[in-house]
Amino acid sequence: MIRKMARIEIIGLKKDLSQTIHHLHDLGIMQIEDIRSLSNVLIQPLNPTYEMVQKRERIELINARINGLVDLFKKYFAGSLKNLEDSSSLEEIGARVEQVTTTVQQFTQNRTNLEDDLVSLSKYQNMLTLMVPLLPESAQKPGNATIGALLHATQTHSMNLLINQLRSMTHAKLEVAIVKVNESTNALIGVLPREYVVAVEELLAKEKITQFVLPEEYSFLKPPEAQALIEKKIEEDHKELDILEDHLRELASTWGPYLHSWQIVCLNMLDEYEIYARIGETEYTFTVYGWLPLDELPKLKDSLHEKVGKDLVINQLEIPEELSQKIPVALDNPKGIQSFENLVKMRAVPAYSDIDPSRLMAVFMPIFFGMMVGDVAYGLILLLLSLFLSRKIKGGIFADLIQTIKIGSIWSIVFGFLFGEFMGTLGGKIGLKPILLDRTAPNSTMTLLYMTIGVGVVHILLGLILGIANAIKHKSKKHLFEKGGMFLGLIGLLIVVATLLKVVPSASKWAGYSLLGAGVILLGISYGKTGVILSPIEFIGLLGNILSYLRIAALGLASVFLAKVANDMVGMIGNAVAGILVAVLIHSLNIIMAAFSPTIQSLRLQYVEFFRRFYEGGKNEFCPFKKRVLTQTNG
Amino acid sequence: MEKGIIALAAALAIGLTALATGMAQRAIGSAGVGAVAEKPELLGSIIILVAIPETMVILGFAVAAIILMG
Repeated sequence: MIRKMARIEIIGLKKDLSQTIHHLHDLGIMQIEDIRSLSNVLIQPLNPTYEMVQKRERIELINARINGLVDLFKKYFAGSLKNLEDSSSLEEIGARVEQVTTTVQQFTQNRTNLEDDLVSLSKYQNMLTLMVPLLPESAQKPGNATIGALLHATQTHSMNLLINQLRSMTHAKLEVAIVKVNESTNALIGVLPREYVVAVEELLAKEKITQFVLPEEYSFLKPPEAQALIEKKIEEDHKELDILEDHLRELASTWGPYLHSWQIVCLNMLDEYEIYARIGETEYTFTVYGWLPLDELPKLKDSLHEKVGKDLVINQLEIPEELSQKIPVALDNPKGIQSFENLVKMRAVPAYSDIDPSRLMAVFMPIFFGMMVGDVAYGLILLLLSLFLSRKIKGGIFADLIQTIKIGSIWSIVFGFLFGEFMGTLGGKIGLKPILLDRTAPNSTMTLLYMTIGVGVVHILLGLILGIANAIKHKSKKHLFEKGGMFLGLIGLLIVVATLLKVVPSASKWAGYSLLGAGVILLGISYGKTGVILSPIEFIGLLGNILSYLRIAALGLASVFLAKVANDMVGMIGNAVAGILVAVLIHSLNIIMAAFSPTIQSLRLQYVEFFRRFYEGGKNEFCPFKKRVLTQTNG
Repeated sequence: MEKGIIALAAALAIGLTALATGMAQRAIGSAGVGAVAEKPELLGSIIILVAIPETMVILGFAVAAIILMG
């Protein structure tokens, strides 16, 4: 049901502005209009004071820091989020956030340093692991030093020249080993008396050959000793990293819930500052324009007068013609209907002048679902599954669809009894007799088709009646002729078919033809000059829409025959166990399909066939200015 | 022989319309998913657009049923 809305203006003294806005935010029942978008208002938009701008910037800064911390803590924080009853002021929040930020910055800086250190140490360790086993024994002798040079794998000739040159420099006291570091690099390791080191290093520098030099603290050690020390340092760094991670985890679990709460506090404050831009001002007063459901108006008046003061003037305004298309729409439906309300909104939020189709959808959609599935056992399984899933999935489109499946599965059980189906054809074997018709019997197929067409006729006639009522309400002659023409034409066609089937006396056929003709003519008039062409096309389209309800029969038949195949498999496969397994598999597949296909198809019948007859849809959903609350649970 | 031709006619009626529906839905569906990724509020309209070509296969089903029940 669409709630009746009221447009109001609130006028008050500027000293009461922040209290008024704060209280409106607390109440959360009013949508505030942006004064800049109103054409017939001469008041200028509010110009924020220097203090307001400063405070807003301060909140934005704190919020940005909180966001950074929340992002950082996301991987550590596993607790459920809840709104902590924290009454800290902005300054207290700011101080605590700064304190946490400083601690976290220290930890993260240390962590970055350690990680950088580990990257570089790992490279040295890899090189030493390759080098040490190939070192000549002379490397251990006192007075000897080890040097390393890195050359590209293609520079074999240069390497040989270098070795010869080094040998001549050291008077053949150089011992050499060559190591393949990777696909593109070779390392030349040389052991030589310490007194030649300076000269050799100068030569390498002159020839622009990259030297493998260990960090300073390891450079005076023999390679095996350096390797052992680097390994030890890596181990220590890893331990230190673990300790740092533990500290961060502890910080996250201590401050995580507070940070999420403060984030909401900051966002709520920022929302209030955002709203200031929509308000008008004079030298001493402010004016707020907005919408709220009419039945909430006394509550708003009483509450504002009590909290802010009697000086506040609250007027209900006439809704001008130019705003009639912009009236926000608030729906009010019982809890069980809300899922269908969300499905209606998925198509389009109703316009203020529309009929809210949520309740009609709540009736027809599950019935169509039940007609398609039509099986006691499938209905029971889907009911249990949807009950289980509705506990797990809260909110969102999937929760809404599960709710429709839940109600639809009850109708599936009802239609299961009417069709005598239990796991398809097993119903007959356990003594379940079809009350209405047996969908597996070939002579029932046409009855089933006629039945679904009948359902379509009723559903579409109801849509047309609503369309006619809408047209009368809005005094729209065009729509009245269009919907009325379709209605009359369809009734006329039904009478003609009834006379052909000899259900009514044949004399009635002239009445049928007359109504059909009148309907098509009315439909043509509604389209103006193009009506001569469009009218028959639209009327045939209407018949196509009715035939579209055959999908109820089609999906139902597909489901029951798949179930029949599953049951027949047990007898056809020689091995009983294998037969039962295959049957269970096919039935499972059928149940999964029964959960998806009928939902989509019954939704489509509402959206395309039914809604088109009367539903316009709008885009102005009522969005009251209300406080954000932390509702989600994150891992 | 006649039975076989009837069955073939029914199969063609539903098979060809199913193929046509699938081809139409392939194009609409892929464009629709792209649109929904950009604007999730379009989901309702996209479901309608994807569902529209299904009328073809439903009509094919009706024709097949009429051929078989004849």
